[in-house]
Amino acid sequence: MKTNDVIIQFTAKIVFFMIFFYAVHIFFAGHYTPGGGFVGGLVTASAIVLLIVAFDLKTVQTILPINYIYMVACGLILALGTAAFSMFTGKPFFTHFFDYFNLPILGKTSLHTAALFDLGVYLVVVGVTMTIIQTIGEDE
Amino acid sequence: MSFQILLNLFLAFLWMFLSSNYSVSRFIIGYLLGLVVIIALRKFFKSRLYIDRVWAVIKLSVLFIKELILANVSVLTLVVKPKLELQPAFFKYDTKLTEEWEITLLSSLITLTPGTVVVHVSDDSKSLFIHVIDSNDIEETIDSIKNSFEKAILEVSRT
Repeated sequence: MKTNDVIIQFTAKIVFFMIFFYAVHIFFAGHYTPGGGFVGGLVTASAIVLLIVAFDLKTVQTILPINYIYMVACGLILALGTAAFSMFTGKPFFTHFFDYFNLPILGKTSLHTAALFDLGVYLVVVGVTMTIIQTIGEDE
Repeated sequence: MSFQILLNLFLAFLWMFLSSNYSVSRFIIGYLLGLVVIIALRKFFKSRLYIDRVWAVIKLSVLFIKELILANVSVLTLVVKPKLELQPAFFKYDTKLTEEWEITLLSSLITLTPGTVVVHVSDDSKSLFIHVIDSNDIEETIDSIKNSFEKAILEVSRT
């Protein structure tokens, strides 16, 4: 008996984008206000989980063909690389750099290497959460 | 509809680039001028003017807010009555709407106006199963849904 899930499926399609945008906003807000890589990653994972609840695991796998194990590895490499980069310039491990750049459209922006480290944290959190949920969900 | 919006945005950008003054106010002036041109040449387009549909969406929102207040008042009167004279019931409502977003919107509107809750959509998406708090006036409920929400949604989706 297959039920008609038209309402939850349509709503999940729309709400997914809102949650994902909110996650990106929280990720970038983390430097001066509450937020950051960990919370942003969890919120992103919850958006994907909403899709999985509304559809099913296989459909979401075909829509988002991401190997989450590789995502965790990319995040770890990014975080380690950001931390180790300062050793090549003779500074101690984990020294961050920041400066103000005049970007073509955005104008004067402050770019900080801590954001790259945070991106690594973000990828690891999304990857680990999704791996846990998928491996539990695929058990018959 | 989407073509008209794109054309209007294009005209607004054109107006901005013609005057080489890239500010928000310039863009808004260009957008309004493009709207005037599109309304003047409305015979060229196959579909309705998109501003009509925007107006229909605004009317639907106002209708929803009005219905929400009225229905909440009616439920409040039911609750504070000393004698509870309720006749709960389920009934089937056949809808004319076909698109996914229309059915979702209609179900949400029906659920958010108190006294009625959509519990199930049939497998062919042709009818909704609604739980009503007081079954003494089912016909009236069906009529009110048909004449208010469904008509307004059809008004929005008409091409």
